Amino acid sequence: MKLIKLGILQTIMNRMSLIAGLVFGVVLLHYFASQKTVTPKFEELALGKGTSTSLASINGVQIHCYDLNDAHQCLDGYVKQAIDLPVALWLGNSQVHAINQMKSGDETAVPELHRRLIDQGAYFLTFSQPNANLQEHLLLFHYLHDRLPVKKLVIPVVFDDMRETGIRTSLVDVLKDHSVSVRMAQTKIGQRLLADNGDQDAAGNDMSALEDTVQEASEKWLNAQMDKLMIWSERPALRGQFLLSLYKLRNTALGINPSTVRKMLPGNYKLNRQAFEAMLDEARRQGIQVLVYVVPLRNDVPIPYNAAEYSNFKTDMQALSISMGAHFANLEDLVPAEYWGTKQSTAVGSKQELDFMHFSAGGHNLLAKALYQELQVLQTVGATP
Amino acid sequence: MIFNSLTYLLLLVFVVVLYWVLPYRSRLLLIFTASMAFYGFWRVEFLPVMLASTLVDFLVSKRMPEASARGRKSLLMTSLVINLGMLFYFKYLIFFADNAIGFANLLGLDIEPLVLNIILPLGISFYTFQTISYTVDVYRGFIKPEQDFVLYACYVTFFPQLVAGPVLRAAEVIHQFANRVSFDWNDIVVGIRRILYGLFLKVVLADNIAPLVDTGFAMPVETMSALDVWTMAFLFGFQIYFDFCAYSHIALGSARLMGICFPENFNFPYMAVSPKDFWRRWHISLSSWIRDYLYLPLAGIKVHDRSIGGLGNAAVDKRHHRALFLTWAIMGLWHGANWTFLLWGLYHGIVIFIYRLIEPYTHSLNYSLKWLGGFIITLPLMMLAWIPFRADSVSVTFEMWGRVLMPSAYTWLGMRENIYLITFLILIGFITVYFFQRKIMPLLQERKLVIFVGDTAAVTVMTALVIVFLRPISQFIYFQF
Repeated sequence: MKLIKLGILQTIMNRMSLIAGLVFGVVLLHYFASQKTVTPKFEELALGKGTSTSLASINGVQIHCYDLNDAHQCLDGYVKQAIDLPVALWLGNSQVHAINQMKSGDETAVPELHRRLIDQGAYFLTFSQPNANLQEHLLLFHYLHDRLPVKKLVIPVVFDDMRETGIRTSLVDVLKDHSVSVRMAQTKIGQRLLADNGDQDAAGNDMSALEDTVQEASEKWLNAQMDKLMIWSERPALRGQFLLSLYKLRNTALGINPSTVRKMLPGNYKLNRQAFEAMLDEARRQGIQVLVYVVPLRNDVPIPYNAAEYSNFKTDMQALSISMGAHFANLEDLVPAEYWGTKQSTAVGSKQELDFMHFSAGGHNLLAKALYQELQVLQTVGATP
Repeated sequence: MIFNSLTYLLLLVFVVVLYWVLPYRSRLLLIFTASMAFYGFWRVEFLPVMLASTLVDFLVSKRMPEASARGRKSLLMTSLVINLGMLFYFKYLIFFADNAIGFANLLGLDIEPLVLNIILPLGISFYTFQTISYTVDVYRGFIKPEQDFVLYACYVTFFPQLVAGPVLRAAEVIHQFANRVSFDWNDIVVGIRRILYGLFLKVVLADNIAPLVDTGFAMPVETMSALDVWTMAFLFGFQIYFDFCAYSHIALGSARLMGICFPENFNFPYMAVSPKDFWRRWHISLSSWIRDYLYLPLAGIKVHDRSIGGLGNAAVDKRHHRALFLTWAIMGLWHGANWTFLLWGLYHGIVIFIYRLIEPYTHSLNYSLKWLGGFIITLPLMMLAWIPFRADSVSVTFEMWGRVLMPSAYTWLGMRENIYLITFLILIGFITVYFFQRKIMPLLQERKLVIFVGDTAAVTVMTALVIVFLRPISQFIYFQF
């Protein structure tokens, strides 16, 4: 009898825990979804509070974009101007669009360079993504070169970004462009990128496994209905929050911060180098002048890289650039200590930590002047044979 | 239709409610119709292929009882030729044509490559094996042929197991469809739990590991260290385990909601203490199928109709060695028409062969030492086997295996630190869950409140994460087989 009672109790508790868990799970999500915290893009997390994004516009025309999601704004802007000027294209990472301790009226190097170059008969356009790697630059270069009369190309080389690999979802659709894919297929790195990313979908397509199936339509309809519920529509933000928490937890548990020494990753370095070489080669064949520069780096504190690896990286990039007919400039010491700042920690807690990549508006002003000078050298010498 | 989707969950709720409301005969029609809809949501045009395979074996088996011995054999051959012919056409024709042309060109003949546009019908490897096993079981006299086509069709096409198993035997499920199952809340609770657990494994774990694996395997091999190769082998091993185990959980859970019990398909395979033990724990329904319908006949051993997995304790002689390697070669090719899958199969064949040679010498070891030693050796061996499964080619596979054997390749790390950390945490988590379930849970049986709180917390976390991550962004890996 006692055993039967125990069995019944166990059955009841088993059912109750399932029901309670299902209900609590939904309630928990509802709670987090209703917090309405603004989650930054995971890729932009390293910026932290203290560093702000600024995408430049001139007279209401955007001249600085991120990726495919907003590329049309820069491309349409160029067409609307109807000035038919040759384009100088700058492809970069977050250093190009982020300003540390940004104040009202501050701007990045982009508008300054645009103003100066347009006086010389060139339309200056910029595309930058956080932690952009050279494989992504190659892809974007092909895409934009098809749509714009690119005559000059400015490429920063960043040790940190040589650790990155692959194509982010907001650029992957470029591979579906026929002309781009044909040209990508002509290089080893291009073939690899096509093979690895050919069947992926752009950001926001959560249904890539259903493409070309009957289910695709029903799933879209059901999701549209479910999006009327807050916990469903807030799922992307909740996913971001969850991953952000894991990222912070890792940084806290392992004591990782911007000063932590990052080692070179041989595989990713090789892929990025191949992409860089392919891009320089394509530019040379198309008669595009290329300026390659080593990005400014904070030099008032020890750099977060292995010194020997960083030195080898600069030597390698310089040798490759020159051998491919590009103009090379080392701007690592360009920005003095006063223009570098701190940002909010990406660990648990709210401590400030050094920002090694993003400088204040003063630094951007120096960068604009330096790049302008190097572009003048490029124009005079005509780096591309 | 993909399990990790709203459409499937809605279909399941709809079918389950109707199933318990409808009378017996209508239930079978409902299952059959729902299964057709489930399959048709992928590609309607391949429904006739599946139905043809189903119908052929139904008709062939029905004629067997009154046929002579020779006639029965002819009927069996008819079934095998049609089923394996379809499988060959859809799955292997391109592979064989490409290789035949490549070989001919090597011999100096100048043959243009064939352009064949053949799409592999979803689940063909699974439902073909089920229909073959049914006909073979009727031929062997293990079961009587089913007279009711709808009942038989439910066995072959039952949607929870249609596209990626478990590979069911007729004797395991037809009687469950034939009997009028009565409603039991316990089935509903178990079913929901298994579906939730399966979705958690798929959308939270497998789908989030996938990009890391993709990045790792996209690296040039010459830049990978030996530890990178090990890490990738382990990480992919866990990805495919979570992915496939998730499918099996959802399949078992979905069937259970209708009172139908499937045999288990996984049992903590990475805790295996020998290669043979691994195959008693991994894809149990397939390994037992292969054993009963391929290995044992090839080895000349009497067949039993049981699903215990593994390749049995066959006595070792030359015939059995041949059977072993042939079986594993076919097992490899069953997974995909590619030399890498053949290599994967042969790797397992070799490992089991070596184990058979060593095993008699391990009897004198004490249990703990045998268990620990077996686990420590088996786990990395099984993980390394996944490299050909995931690598782009045979040459890449050998390059990666070569790295593992190079002492100088152990001196650096070539990947992002996160990947090592995540792999390590998953391994520790897997072992912890195993010991918790096997050793701690039995001790807590009397502490009802602790179990209640712990269980509620686990369901809460899983529910929240499944809702957040539920997106049909990737198919189950085993769909491609």
